[in-house]
Amino acid sequence: MAEITDKAREEFFSEAQEIIETLSRNLLSLDGASKQGVTDPSLINEAFRAVHTLKGLAGLFGAVRLGALSHRLEDLLDALRLGRLQLLPQTLDVLFGAVDIYTKVLEYEKTSRDDPLPEVDALLVELERLGAGAAHPSSPMSDYEFDSGMLAVLTEYEEHRLKVNIEQRMSLYRLRVQFDLATIDRALEQIKEKARRHGEIITYLPTGETTSADSIELDLLMASRDSLAALIGSLGADNVVIEEISRRRRSMDGGPSRAAPEKPSIQLVHSEAAPGHGSDSVSPVPRETDRSAAIDKDRSLRSLTQTVRVDIRKLDHLMNIVGELAIVRGALARVAERVRNDGQRRLATELLRLHRNFDRRLSEMQDGILEVRMVPLGQVFERLARVVRQISRELGKEIRLVITGAETEIDKLIVEELSDPLMHMIRNAIDHGIELADKRAEVGKPSAGTIALNAYQKGNHVMIEVEDDGRGIDERAIVEKAVTLGKIERGEVEELSREDVLSLIFLPGLSTRSAADDVSGRGVGMDIVKTNISKLGGVIDVHSETGIGTKMTITLPITLAIVSALIVRAEEQIFALPLASVSEALSLDEASVRVLDGREVVTLRGSTLPIVRIARLLELERTGQSGHRMGFVVVIALGNRRLGLVVDHLFGQQDIVVKPLGRSLGTVRGFAGATELGDQRVGLVLDAAALIEEVLSSGEAQREHVGARYA
Amino acid sequence: MLRILVVEDSPSMRAFVRGALETRSEFGEELSVVEAASGFDALRLLPRGPYALVITDINMPDINGLELVRFIRSSELHKGTPIILISTQSSERDQQRGLSLGADAYLTKPFTEEALCKLAGAQLERARSGSGAHG
Amino acid sequence: MPDLLKPSAARAVRRGSDRGPVREFLVFSLGGDLYGVELTGIKEILSPPPITRVPRARREVVGVCSVRGLLVTVLDLRRKLRVEERMLGRRSRILLATAPTGEVTGLLVDEVRQVVRLAESEVEVAASALGGDVAEHVLGVGRPGGKFLILLDLKAILRD
Repeated sequence: MAEITDKAREEFFSEAQEIIETLSRNLLSLDGASKQGVTDPSLINEAFRAVHTLKGLAGLFGAVRLGALSHRLEDLLDALRLGRLQLLPQTLDVLFGAVDIYTKVLEYEKTSRDDPLPEVDALLVELERLGAGAAHPSSPMSDYEFDSGMLAVLTEYEEHRLKVNIEQRMSLYRLRVQFDLATIDRALEQIKEKARRHGEIITYLPTGETTSADSIELDLLMASRDSLAALIGSLGADNVVIEEISRRRRSMDGGPSRAAPEKPSIQLVHSEAAPGHGSDSVSPVPRETDRSAAIDKDRSLRSLTQTVRVDIRKLDHLMNIVGELAIVRGALARVAERVRNDGQRRLATELLRLHRNFDRRLSEMQDGILEVRMVPLGQVFERLARVVRQISRELGKEIRLVITGAETEIDKLIVEELSDPLMHMIRNAIDHGIELADKRAEVGKPSAGTIALNAYQKGNHVMIEVEDDGRGIDERAIVEKAVTLGKIERGEVEELSREDVLSLIFLPGLSTRSAADDVSGRGVGMDIVKTNISKLGGVIDVHSETGIGTKMTITLPITLAIVSALIVRAEEQIFALPLASVSEALSLDEASVRVLDGREVVTLRGSTLPIVRIARLLELERTGQSGHRMGFVVVIALGNRRLGLVVDHLFGQQDIVVKPLGRSLGTVRGFAGATELGDQRVGLVLDAAALIEEVLSSGEAQREHVGARYA
Repeated sequence: MLRILVVEDSPSMRAFVRGALETRSEFGEELSVVEAASGFDALRLLPRGPYALVITDINMPDINGLELVRFIRSSELHKGTPIILISTQSSERDQQRGLSLGADAYLTKPFTEEALCKLAGAQLERARSGSGAHG
Repeated sequence: MPDLLKPSAARAVRRGSDRGPVREFLVFSLGGDLYGVELTGIKEILSPPPITRVPRARREVVGVCSVRGLLVTVLDLRRKLRVEERMLGRRSRILLATAPTGEVTGLLVDEVRQVVRLAESEVEVAASALGGDVAEHVLGVGRPGGKFLILLDLKAILRD
């Protein structure tokens, strides 16, 4: 922090001096008032602000001792103004003492003297002792009819003052005053003077409605025991309008009526739609407006300030901390064990009890943060509804969109990445799947094609289905195309299962149309859709029936944040594998490994399980460790495909925070991210979906060069 | 000429901010700092804009920084002007409020000249490149 | 650490005495030679924490490591600049910088020496001085106090 201008430094000293003088005057007033048994909260607040400002300045200008002193004083004054501490005579004594010392410290600062000041240390100790106060009492809920938005601009302190006044059963008033910008200072002083006699002014809000450029309108929020009439009598004027902020009526049961916060939802469009749906092809149903109106009526303090726009990175930061606490939790349990083994039974039990408590709270916190990150899929679906309307018009096809499960929630980060892939899929469905109206009539289908979007939660995953009642995927056409593009050999065609054929649509360059209805030029690449879904840790499956329709199912992890994972080691490297993808783990008997079609397999409960050695797949450095001991096979399963990953050691299961790899590592396949494993070590998180894809890719056995990578 | 409105009731804080902004020539253009000693002062000075940037303290008596932010955002002239809030370390809530009311960024006291300049620079750049309308 | 801000694109220019505007460069050694990068681009210098290899990553990626919870990709400047490779030494350091994409990246160097100030006039834009593919990463050459310093373009290095 270089070059603080001399001028600024001079200003600092003079302002500091001024502040100390103000503080002194303040304390004197407080002293006087307290002797009469009155405490003026605004005086305490002023003192707090003064010290607070001084602390800030001291920090800015490098006056360390001044800063330390101010910090402690600030704590004390904060406790006083928030009601945590009583203003007792001894407290005032300490405060007066502080002012004296302040002056001295400032002198030293000005002349850059470094000598020790024992009085300061003594005072600091004294302040610390006083500073510990009782917990802040919670204020009762209230029901005043505030203007929406008035509460949103209160600072923390102002809100506190408001609550205190409400607790003391003061009446609240709003004074709307017109001021001339030229004379506002004086006019304001006058009003403040008068108002102070009646109560406390909490804040001044510019209303934003000005009649001319040189006038301004302010709302003064005030608390007073006096009646509206009394206030009008004293403060009323041409440019002043005074209103009471009334209490809401209580409902029958005595509690304030409060509607539960409603999540927006897109209503289901029933499939038995009237045939006369004609030109208005898509009917995304608007949000229910009646219920939201009811919410508006709820004016309790809390609900108005309920929503805050949150930067997702802050949530990530919080999640990181939670993740690190999870590691601490694990360590705590281990220490408790060691203590027990050491013979200290009682201590161990105590520790374990604390650990359980910690565990519970941490889970709660984790859940809480995750909840904040979760948003309903309806957000994306809504956008898609608009797209569907647009595309259907473009292509001249009537489409009926059916949406279910819009309230299913998923991590905000995932939602943002979903709209593109879903849009591609829908476009494909409308473009290539849904036949033209006359064709549909020919086969007895309703003229409007149906696209159904469905979402639901299944265990640790969210499933999203996109289904259409179109012509289905033309398997022969795909195979032909694939052969033409050289993706598969003619000879392999027979051996392809139905699934394999359908999976071909995910190869780049393929699309499910024939030249005849080449509408958009290039088919929208399903390979891109697949890549995007993979990046989110998900998987996509295709099911299709000729003439009937196509259904694509996306399986996604609910959140990208903390997952339960299996920690394994292959050669020298440690990896984590999200438990959600793991169906089981077993030890490997090398003798039972056979080779089938160029792949290594084992038999698991009667069926064949392909396996892959992680060390070999990732070309890890050989240390000669594996091979001597028994390895392990971790079976991963996604969709209906299974693969066994061979590793050297299984450490166990723990919660990890998955952090995404940087963009520069984006092309590295097989990893879903990385996680911190304790003492700063990092373990890579394996991407089960990508591994399954890579090893089990259609038509390719485990060849030497897994070189036919998808684009 | 880029004009920056600094709303802050402490004179030395204003001097500090002015010093920091005016002596660092990384903004490529001439900078001039306009000082307001209170929320009311700011109300008076705002119509004399437009300002390229507003820096305001949150905790000021009378009209506080949050109220100022809302007022600024509701005005035609300054709807898209970047706003940087100065807040205290312990008040996460005020910072969040400020952001949700439309402020673009915040500084927590005590902050360095460097932090101030980087933040201010980034905001000025953003507004200049036109991507700047808040939100 | 959540970083709310994009770094300002401008350079910090301080008014030097009479040499005109000067820039500060962080000097480090790699394979016996001295290099420099603009100080303002370097957020932090640290001793290498355990670095985890990332299989299948580009050659110059040493791996990833954790810096106070933030995942950082570490690049081996030796590999990038085609300098002969070497194991991590006692004095090896990681320079943390922010790539244009916003990603925090670490650059592995042999030893951090000092900070020097060079005026515009003291930087020779030596296109010929060093050949080959290194050229795109090089800003020029400086000779503070008789030492020969290869000045690197941080942005170009991080751009890949």
